[in-house]
Amino acid sequence: MASQPMTSSIQPTDVYGGDEVSAIILDPGYSSVRAGFAGEDTPKSFYTSCYGVSGDRTIFSDEDVHNPLVPDMEIRNPMSKDGVVEDWDAATQLFEYAITSRLTKFKQSDPMTNGVNDTKDMDVDIEAADEEEKPLEEHPLLMTETAWNSSKNRERAIEIAMENWGCPAFWLARNSVMAAFAAGRATALVIDVGASTTSTMCIHDGLILKKSIQKSPVAGNWVSSQVRSLFSTQDPKIDIVPHYMISSKTPVDAGAPAQATFQNFKHNITDSFRALEEERVLSEFKESVVQVYQGPGRLNSTHPSGVPNIENVRAMPGRVFEFPDGLNQMWGADRMTVVEGMWDERAALPIPSEPALTKAQTIPEMIRASVQGVDMDLRAALLQNIVVTGGTTLLQGFTDRLYNEMQAMWPGARIKIQAAGLTTERRFGSWVGGSILGSLGTFHQMWISKKEYEEFGVSVVDKRCK
Amino acid sequence: MTSHDVRDMLDLPQEGAPRPAKKQKLAGPRPVLKGLAREVQNLGGDNPIAIVPEVSVFKKRRFMSRKPASKWELVPFKNTARSDQTLILRHWRRKEASPPPTVIDENEGESSEAAEKPTPVMDDSTFAKFNVQINIPDYTDDEYNSRLASPGWSRDETDYLMKVISDFDVRWPLIWDRYEYEPPQPRPVEGDAAVNTGAIIVPPKARTMEDLKLRYYSIAATIMALRKPPIKMNSAEFNLHEVMQNFDAKQEHDRKKFAEAAFKRTREEAREEESLLLELKRILARSDKLNEDRRELYARLEAPPSTGNIGIFSTSGGLQQLLQQLMTADKSKKQRKLTLGGETMSPAVGASGQTQQNFDRRESSVRESISGPSGGNNKKGNTQNAADRRQLTEEEERIYGVSRHERLGTSGPTFRHDKITKPLVSKSAVQQAKIGNILGELEIAGRLIMPTAEVGEAYEGLLQSINVLLDARKVADKLAGEIATAKAHRAEKKRLARAESTNPTANGDGEIKREGSAVASVRAGSVQRKRSASVMSAISDKSTKRQKK
Ligand SMILES: Nc1ncnc2c1ncn2[C@@H]1O[C@H](COP(=O)(O)OP(=O)(O)OP(=O)(O)O)[C@@H](O)[C@H]1O
Ligand SMILES: [Mg+2]
Repeated sequence: MASQPMTSSIQPTDVYGGDEVSAIILDPGYSSVRAGFAGEDTPKSFYTSCYGVSGDRTIFSDEDVHNPLVPDMEIRNPMSKDGVVEDWDAATQLFEYAITSRLTKFKQSDPMTNGVNDTKDMDVDIEAADEEEKPLEEHPLLMTETAWNSSKNRERAIEIAMENWGCPAFWLARNSVMAAFAAGRATALVIDVGASTTSTMCIHDGLILKKSIQKSPVAGNWVSSQVRSLFSTQDPKIDIVPHYMISSKTPVDAGAPAQATFQNFKHNITDSFRALEEERVLSEFKESVVQVYQGPGRLNSTHPSGVPNIENVRAMPGRVFEFPDGLNQMWGADRMTVVEGMWDERAALPIPSEPALTKAQTIPEMIRASVQGVDMDLRAALLQNIVVTGGTTLLQGFTDRLYNEMQAMWPGARIKIQAAGLTTERRFGSWVGGSILGSLGTFHQMWISKKEYEEFGVSVVDKRCK
Repeated sequence: MTSHDVRDMLDLPQEGAPRPAKKQKLAGPRPVLKGLAREVQNLGGDNPIAIVPEVSVFKKRRFMSRKPASKWELVPFKNTARSDQTLILRHWRRKEASPPPTVIDENEGESSEAAEKPTPVMDDSTFAKFNVQINIPDYTDDEYNSRLASPGWSRDETDYLMKVISDFDVRWPLIWDRYEYEPPQPRPVEGDAAVNTGAIIVPPKARTMEDLKLRYYSIAATIMALRKPPIKMNSAEFNLHEVMQNFDAKQEHDRKKFAEAAFKRTREEAREEESLLLELKRILARSDKLNEDRRELYARLEAPPSTGNIGIFSTSGGLQQLLQQLMTADKSKKQRKLTLGGETMSPAVGASGQTQQNFDRRESSVRESISGPSGGNNKKGNTQNAADRRQLTEEEERIYGVSRHERLGTSGPTFRHDKITKPLVSKSAVQQAKIGNILGELEIAGRLIMPTAEVGEAYEGLLQSINVLLDARKVADKLAGEIATAKAHRAEKKRLARAESTNPTANGDGEIKREGSAVASVRAGSVQRKRSASVMSAISDKSTKRQKK
């Protein structure tokens, strides 16, 4: 950001109200943890939320978590199915790793005063060394959380930031609000489709309207399980073979059985590791094949011309996907049926061991409930400021379908969807919003300072971060 | 020799070379090469070889200015908008020219730095001033009990409401959203605790936003009036007081219900409403136009009668005077024209003739300016304009119907359509009907669809013929009638003569006279062919009148 030379005495503060105090933004999610400095446009540090446990070793780095050679590694996720922190001990280490590995590893002190130039101060430095154990002493920390985070969890967050990391100041922001800020809106209807949860809620003047919060599990992981369900019902059934298992493969024709030689491992590969690696294959499939039927109407409804929509879809060209073992196949209308359940609960494929979707869990119904939950006078403005964020909204055709569904729901209203065009902005929406907020000059008065924390205790977070 | 060979000779790489060359070309104008370099470049032909020219403009200015890079430093600052003043954040600021007083601190440890520095020089955040607070009315117990108590509201809930309002800075959607009042739990009385919990705990009443607003506005208005009697308020305060006092929760509630109904309408309803709105807009636009017309009409009707006496212009002497006035008024213009068009002006022409000609000229120049390129170049007076006019070819002149005249006719320039309608309009209704009948018989529309010059001429000719035909027919009819009467007379006379011999002179005289007039009218009819339509119609009118007499 600062790479461009400032030509004159005009300082950026005059232009956009920014006044950076090298705050760090931490945006944890079920699938990944994003961390970086306020004022930058993408997080410098991006790690999967999963960590490995092998014996008594805890493994965080991306390379090691996906490394099949680590013996008997169990993969765990400190986040719950709701996208909130469940295992604080692991989460603390994971977040700390995310921050220190890329952002604050080397303490940035002035070479004039850090003792390198002057041997006299050695004792002082050593004395200070105790304090320096804490990674965030010089950086205020802005952390995001979901709208349904519990009080207990919030208090735990400030406690760790203050006690473990030694932050001079702390703030807890709602990730949907941050996503709205990233889109330049203080009043918005935010639709966040992440990995573990999909949520819709209304934001007014930078604060969540609680009565409008809706959440459901119809998100990235759910799509993955739909894809799994699709694979298992194929004939012949498709087994997902992750990359690490393949030692070599020969190309085969579409639909022909795979011909690959497998890697042999001397140690045991845990189920959780395999699931993690399978998820990567599924992600590829989601990104390159899966597509949302964009409307009008639903996949299972009939077009006004009398032709069922599914027939039109079948007439479209399909997409080929090659699995790591070389198995490849053309995907036709099925690439749309796997995500149709997001919009139409009756179209969802059954997932064993999970209850069937309810109507209220589909995205259109969540939006309807959210809008119903706010004052009439706000609704028109909200429908013109719909902010779409989260990785799963990158599914092809998602926003078109969303628009069509909403248009059908409120034909008389003007609907305007604000969806960032850049992939990173969509995936890191809440981080980017935090980055903006954290670099604003007017935000300095909001921070909860260490002093305030010491004075009021952990409950200060509930009082201040509304 | 191909570029391949040249590459070989110059030891240039065979592949990948053209790319950078192309980019270079895109980036800016190709540098002008001289001497051998140009020859070599030309060998490449269409596929120029990569000789990357040196770019000498790269950041020249920066190297020219010998100013040292500006220094930045991490400056601590505080923010007076914070309730807690201990938070000291640091940001990067350009270093001032004078050495900051922190030089001494440099050699000391962090602890002493922190202790000494903040005292005198600490900046305040420039954003502290943006922190504004909203005033929420507060009240004492007495005030509450005497003025503010309201049946539906407990003191506790009112206090809670005021707190929520100040927490959310009177942003009503948020207040209503976060309003979660829980009445204080009544302390369970010993013994009947179990009964109490079942009976007394009522779910908190759901308050609508209107309830909350009504309560708050009435409190705020009451407190406002208490602090400052309405008579003493300035107008802004008084208006605010009025608005708060007169807040109508029910009306507000109904409005929202309507809005919600409108929000939930279906596509058909929306479409219908849209079309109705469009219709309304059209009606309004039309009525606007109607009103406009009506107003204009009224304005005309009510226009004050001209105060000047027009009587003096009714005589020819008066008109002459008027002309003289007009002439002197644009003397200057005419002066120019007179000199330019002097040759056409003969001094022998009398005053009236002169003015007539001048009017013609003026009219023609006006017409010239409005008729554009088609009618320009035959006017002598405006030769300077004619030069910049587009010259029309003969073909075009024919298409546009341009005709040239040495001089204009007595009536001056006319519109072509006048020529067509005049002969019709000047006729009596009976005549017009007759002409219409004949045109109908010929299957020609009364109005010309494509009135080009030729068509106009043909039409004119046709009308003339029709006129002649009509006149001839009329005369023929009349003559036939007269012959019939004459024959009858003769028969009568013969009968009378045969019966009895009387004095025949008087009757014979009258008959000769009548025949003479009929011959004259026939002659008039034959002459018409040579005259213009208007003259003709005048004469034929006269003749019919005479006949009627
Ligand atoms: N291009 C893409 N197409 C489809 N899905 C994608 C794409 N990119 C990412 N995803 C999916 O998006 C999800 C990650 O989204 P995101 O990073 O917003 O979630 P998160 O914030 O970590 O999770 P949560 O919000 O549930 O806590 C993953 O399930 C991933 O598979
Ligand atoms: Mg998320």
